[in-house]
Amino acid sequence: MTRALLALGTVVLSLCREIGGMALLGCYTLFELIRGRCDGRELVRNLYKMGVVSVPIVSLTALFTGGTMVIQSGIFVQRFQAYGLLGWGTGYAVLREVGPILIGLMFSGRVGANNAADLGSMVVTEQVDGLRALAIEPIPFLIVPRVLAMILAMFCLLVLGDAVAIAGGMVFGKLLLGVDFASFYASFVDAIKLWDLTVGLLKGTFFALMIALTSCHYGLAVKGGAVGVGHAVNDAVVAAALLIMVSDDIWTMVLR
Amino acid sequence: MIALGGIRKLHLDPTKPPVLDGISLKIAQGETCGLCGPGASGKSLLLKIICGLVRPESGTVEVAGADLFDSTADELRKVQSQIGYLFQNNALFDSMTVFENVAFPLRQRARLQHESIEEAALAERVGEALRGVGLATHIEKMPSQLSGGQRKRVALARAVVARPPLLIYDEPTAGLDPVTTAKVYDLLAAERELMQSTTLIVSSDLDALRRFASRMLMIYRGTLCYDGPAAEMADSPNPVVRQFVRGELEGPL
Repeated sequence: MTRALLALGTVVLSLCREIGGMALLGCYTLFELIRGRCDGRELVRNLYKMGVVSVPIVSLTALFTGGTMVIQSGIFVQRFQAYGLLGWGTGYAVLREVGPILIGLMFSGRVGANNAADLGSMVVTEQVDGLRALAIEPIPFLIVPRVLAMILAMFCLLVLGDAVAIAGGMVFGKLLLGVDFASFYASFVDAIKLWDLTVGLLKGTFFALMIALTSCHYGLAVKGGAVGVGHAVNDAVVAAALLIMVSDDIWTMVLR
Repeated sequence: MIALGGIRKLHLDPTKPPVLDGISLKIAQGETCGLCGPGASGKSLLLKIICGLVRPESGTVEVAGADLFDSTADELRKVQSQIGYLFQNNALFDSMTVFENVAFPLRQRARLQHESIEEAALAERVGEALRGVGLATHIEKMPSQLSGGQRKRVALARAVVARPPLLIYDEPTAGLDPVTTAKVYDLLAAERELMQSTTLIVSSDLDALRRFASRMLMIYRGTLCYDGPAAEMADSPNPVVRQFVRGELEGPL
């Protein structure tokens, strides 16, 4: 009994430490952002590294996501002759749910993991200490540009990914079900509202914030050399995925 | 230049004794001190405390007349801008070229003093520092494209480019071959002559260190067990110091 309580206490304490660390980092980042302290060169560099370089992989993922939506719904579309609903079904699912989650998870795996590894290596090779020794605070120089770049990059990638996924749905709908582009488009435009897109973008932006905070927190907390960097990357990706799924449920309930 | 009073820093594991336990010392302007001790004795930690990167649990750290842990963030930054620090792992910024790495302290100093710095003057100073370490042709390279010895020399150029009055070197020759080690010590001596800076250097290469520094400090079990002339270290009455300097297997270490 005592052991079980001890184990439970250890887990709770560790969870509080991690969540508290991320919350503190978020507060410091917000504080510096309000004061306008963000290194412009680092912001541009990170926007390129996190946003522009992610375009091909996000586009490819989105294209096949749109295709998968059509393949999955194809059986029912054919059974009920509901060809006129294919544009609405694909658009609704992609914009509100599948787009933000899949692109968020892809973004976490590519950008979040890379960010945690990058910051972790900077810690173990004393680059963060090097900055501080040169009287440069790591939060405005390293963290604020990364958090900002991740949020902006994710927003843009989500807009692009949604467009590509719907285009993918159109192409797969034509190839597999014979639904012509005009019919798909008409169904999409008639039934989808701006609010559906807004919900997805809000979710995606929040996921980006979660990915940014987890990857920066675990990256900066690295201890123990290269092995520590590996652990940080793993922890950052797992924590981001968990936060994406949990917060998605909450957002879905709030923004129905 | 540096005055430490009763520095105490606890181990992360509370069951273990403090890493530093009451270190007090003074280093005068222009002095060159070598700091040595067995592995994990807290040498690098002491350097980071002197630079204001790590806060001790108790004690005072005075650098250039300012109490580091009783000053505002701006005052601390002002003191830090007077320190050139060569890190054990070089700490070159991976995302910047050699030029940008070496130019970084100059840009930062100008920013702290609310001054602008001409790009031509900046390029001249950086070029001069890189010529000093024999790497003037490597300015466009990234740190990942350099060998270990070249990275060390770039880190040295970055530490000295702003001509700081206090230079701190943490293992400047670790992992280097004997010829490169000799070159690095020559460069350190040249910089010391040129700038008349106060120099504090940690090295495991005790012979080279005793040749370079006039005064030696040794840390053992969290305390300063030797503080005296480098030439007399081998004849210290303390058996720990004697064994460490002579590299004997038998003894208290």
